[in-house]
Amino acid sequence: MVGAGLAGQRAALEAIRSGLDVGILSKLHPLRSHSGAAQGGINAALGPQDSVKDHVYDTVKGSDYLADQDAVEILCREAGPTVIEMEHFGTIFNRAPDGSLDRRAFGGASYSRTIFAADRTGLALLQALYEEISRETRVRIYEEWDAIRLVSRGGRVHGVVALDRKTGTVEGFAAKSVVVATGPAGRIYARTTNSHASTGDGGALAYRAGAYLKDMEFVQFHPTALPGSGILITEGARGEGGILRNKNGERFMERYAPHVKDLASRDVVSRAIATEVAEGRGFPDGTCHLELMHLGREKVETKLQEIVGFCRNFAGIDPVTEPIPVYPAQHYMMGGIHTNPRGETNLAGLYAAGEAACVSVHGANRLGANSLLETLVYGKIAGANAAEFARKTTAGELTPEDVSTAEKELHALWERREGEPPARLRNDLQSTMEADVGIYRTPEQLEAARRKLGEIRTRYASCYVEDKSTVYNVNLTDAIELGHMLDLAEVIVAGALARTESRGAHVRRDFPRRDDANWMKHTMALWSPQGPVLSYLPVTVTEYAPKERVY
Amino acid sequence: MPTIPFEVFRGSPGQTRFDTFSLDIPEHTPILTALLKIRDEIDPTLTLRYSCRQAICGSCAMRINGKSRLACLTPVGPEFRARGKLRIEPMANQPVLRDLVVDQGPFWQRYHSIRPYLVPDPQHPLPVGKESPMTPEQVAQFQETPRCIACASCYSACPAIASDGDFLGPMALAKLFRFVVDPRDGAFHERLLGVQNQSLWLCLRCNLCVESCPKDVRPAERIHDLKWMANQELGALERGSRHAIKFASNIREGGLLNEMKLARETLGLVGMLGQIPKGIELARHGKSIRKHPPIQGREELDAIYRELDRPEDLQHRPRVPGQGVKGPTQQPSKAGGAA
Ligand SMILES: Cc1cc2nc3c(=O)[nH]c(=O)nc-3n(C[C@H](O)[C@H](O)[C@H](O)COP(=O)(O)OP(=O)(O)OC[C@H]3O[C@@H](n4cnc5c(N)ncnc54)[C@H](O)[C@@H]3O)c2cc1C
Ligand code: FES
Repeated sequence: MVGAGLAGQRAALEAIRSGLDVGILSKLHPLRSHSGAAQGGINAALGPQDSVKDHVYDTVKGSDYLADQDAVEILCREAGPTVIEMEHFGTIFNRAPDGSLDRRAFGGASYSRTIFAADRTGLALLQALYEEISRETRVRIYEEWDAIRLVSRGGRVHGVVALDRKTGTVEGFAAKSVVVATGPAGRIYARTTNSHASTGDGGALAYRAGAYLKDMEFVQFHPTALPGSGILITEGARGEGGILRNKNGERFMERYAPHVKDLASRDVVSRAIATEVAEGRGFPDGTCHLELMHLGREKVETKLQEIVGFCRNFAGIDPVTEPIPVYPAQHYMMGGIHTNPRGETNLAGLYAAGEAACVSVHGANRLGANSLLETLVYGKIAGANAAEFARKTTAGELTPEDVSTAEKELHALWERREGEPPARLRNDLQSTMEADVGIYRTPEQLEAARRKLGEIRTRYASCYVEDKSTVYNVNLTDAIELGHMLDLAEVIVAGALARTESRGAHVRRDFPRRDDANWMKHTMALWSPQGPVLSYLPVTVTEYAPKERVY
Repeated sequence: MPTIPFEVFRGSPGQTRFDTFSLDIPEHTPILTALLKIRDEIDPTLTLRYSCRQAICGSCAMRINGKSRLACLTPVGPEFRARGKLRIEPMANQPVLRDLVVDQGPFWQRYHSIRPYLVPDPQHPLPVGKESPMTPEQVAQFQETPRCIACASCYSACPAIASDGDFLGPMALAKLFRFVVDPRDGAFHERLLGVQNQSLWLCLRCNLCVESCPKDVRPAERIHDLKWMANQELGALERGSRHAIKFASNIREGGLLNEMKLARETLGLVGMLGQIPKGIELARHGKSIRKHPPIQGREELDAIYRELDRPEDLQHRPRVPGQGVKGPTQQPSKAGGAA
C-alpha cells in the first residue's frame, strides 16, 4: 500500500483480513494524513425518506453526467454498511437524541444524508481506522517513507522504490500487487485548501509506470478560502446568513443567482467571485468580502465557532467586527489514476483508490461528503482485489538495478552543486496554474500555461537541492514532489485544451455549453517522452440519460 | 510590519547551534508560515515537520519561547511582544533527529501500549447491520478526547515523562480514557487495572499538559477522571489510590495531616519499616511527625466535607450504563476521591 490516509488504510485492512502480509508506505504518519482535515461529513442514505436511488441520482446529476453510473451505484449501495462498519470500528459520530446517527444537509443532496462527527469527521474516521489497523499484527507500517518509483515491466507492476526520510536510505519493496492511495494534488495550485503534503505523488508515479490518468482537467474550486493560506471557510457561513460583497459594497450574488443569491452552489459562487475580481470590482488584495458582522456577536461566536477560530488564528481577522476576505481555492481533484469499479488500473497488479484515483464516481464535479465515502468504499474494494491478485500471482520481480536506477537519479539531483532552488520553481508552477488554468479557461491562457510549464520543466532539469543531509531532508523531498506536480500539471493542461466544452468544473469561455454529442467521454492520458498522449473512454450510463443541470 | 528575530535550533545531537533569521512580517503571521518563509527564501536546509497548516494533522509541535505549541496555530506577535524575540526549539522529551524534527518513536510506543482499539465484549456484541446504541449521556463522555490530534505538545511539556520513563504520559492516558468511557468497549476493568498501579499516580498534576494542548483535551483532567474511576471500580488496591483515600479520611478525622497514620495506612506496617531512614532524616531536620492537637473550627471542616460528599459530585464522570451495555460493577461509594 502506498499511502495511509482513509483509502490506503481501508485497502490495507481488507488485504490483512483476507490473510495476507501487508506493508504500508506513507510519507506522513498515518494519523497526519490529509483525510484528517475533512470537516463536513460522509454521505449515506440512512434517513427514513432517503434511498440509495436518490443518492445515485444526486451524485450523477452533480457529476454533470460524467460519472460512471455503475461505479456510483456501488458507492451509494455500500454507503450505509460502510458508515455502520466505521461506527463499529469505534468512530465517534454525532448522535441524534434517540441515539441514532445524526445527519446534516449538504449541497446538491435531496435529503439530509451527511453523517458527521462535529466539525472533524475526517479526523474521527481516520482515528477509528488507525485503531482498527493497530489491532493487526500482519501489517508493517513504514512511516515517513516516500515512494519515489513504481516499477513496472511487461504490463505488470513489480514493486515500489522508496526513500526513508529519517535516514535518507533508498530501498526496494518487491510486491505481488500495489495499491496507490496517495491522496490529493492540490499543491499544484497557488491557492488550495489542501495540506502541504498534497502533491499528487502516486498519480505521477503510476503515470510514469504506464498507467492511465483520467479526467485530470476537472479541478474543483471552493468559493470561500482565506486568500493567503487557502484555509477553507465552510459553506456554513453563508448558510447562517453571511453575505458576499465587492469593493463597491454591492451584494453581487444578486446578479449571478437572483433567487438563492449567496446560497448558490459552489461552482456558481466561485465563478462569481472570480469574475468580480477579474473585472476590477474586487478589493486591492484581489478578494471579495464575506460579511458576518450583521449576524451579531452571539450568533457568529456560537454557530460559526470554527470559522471564528480560523479567522482569528490564521488570518488575524475578527469576523464579528470585520469582513473576511475570501477568494476561491483549489479544493479537490476529480481526476486521477484510471481504475475500473474493481479498483484495477491498466497495469496488472496495480490498484488505486481515494482522491489519487478516478473510478469515476465524481465525474466533472464532486458533491460534498461523497469523497470520504469513496475512500472507504473503493479502498476496501481495491484492497480486496489486490489481495486476490496477490494470492494468484508470482512474486514481484524487483531487480537490484530497479533500485539502483532510482537511487542514482535521486543522487544526481541531490549532488548537483548549483541550480535553481525547488521553492522558486514550485512558486512559478503554482502561479502559472492559478493564473491560467483556473476557474475560467481560454485557449490562449491554456497555451500560455503549456509553454510556461515547458520552461519550468527545462529549469527543473537543473533543480538544486542545497541541503545535503541524509536526515529528514525536506529540501530533497520538495524537489521530488515538484517533479510529480509538474507531470500532473501538464496532463491537466493537455486535457483542458482538448476538451472544447464546459462541463462541471471545467469551464471554457470559448465553449460555454456542455456538449454531450462529442464530449460525454473520459479523457485518458498516457505518459510519453514528448508529453501526455490523450485518448478517450465512453462514460458508463445505466439509468440516467443526461439532462440539463439546474438547481 | 515589525522586524522579528527568530533564534532557531539547528543541527543534530553532538553538533547543535542556534541560527538567527530576521523577517519583516505582520504580527498575525503563524510561526509555521514564518519558518517556511525562512526555508523558501533564506535557508533551504532548515528542516521541520508540517503538513496541514490548520492545526489538524498534529505535525508541527515545537517549543516556542520554551512553551510546547503548534507552530501553525501560534501567531508571531504576542510571543514577540512578550519576549522581544522568538526562540524556536524542537519538542522536549524526545530525541532530536535534526533541527526541529524529533524521533516520535517513544511517544507512539506509549500510544500503542494502551491497546488503542475497541476490545469486543462477548456478553454484549455490537448489533448487526446497525449502529451501536448510545445515550446522550454516553455521548457526552466523548466531549474532549476525540479532539486529540496526537501532536505530542503535552508529551513535550510533561515533567513526569522527563523524570520517570514508565509514565505513559498525558496523551496516551487521555486516549485510554476515550476507551474506558466507550460503551462499545469490553475491557473496562482490565484497562483500569492496567494503569492503576503505575501510570495514573505518576502524574504530578502540574497542569502543563492542559496549558499546552491546542485542542483543549485537558489530559490532566482525564487522568484525574481515570483515578476516580479506578478507585470506584477496583477499590484502593495499591499505594497511589490508598494514599489519596487515606489522605482525605485522615484530614477529616483530625483536621490536620497525621503523617504517621497516613504512612501506616498507605504503606502498611512492613512498608513503613522501609521508611524509617526517611523518618529519622525528617526528624533531624526538625520536621515533627507527632500527633497534632485538635484544631479549631471543626464545623467548617465538616461543612467542606459535607459539600464534597454531595452525591452529584461523587458521580464525577461515572461510566454511564446503558441499554445493552455493561456499566460499572459498583455504585460510587462514599470513599473520598483523589485528594
Ligand atoms: C479542507 C478539506 C475539507 C474536506 N471535507 C470533506 C468532507 O467534509 N467530506 C468529504 O467527503 N470530503 C472532504 N474533503 C475531501 C477528502 O478529505 C479527501 O478527498 C480524502 O480525505 C482523501 O483521502 P485519501 O485517503 O485519498 O488521501 P489522504 O488522506 O490525503 O492520504 C494520502 C496518504 O498518502 C501518503 N502519501 C502521499 N504521497 C506519498 C508518497 N510519495 N509515498 C508514500 N506515501 C505517500 C500520505 O502520507 C497519506 O498517508 C475535504 C478536503 C479538504 C481539503
Ligand atoms: S501543520 Fe498540521 S498541525 Fe500544524
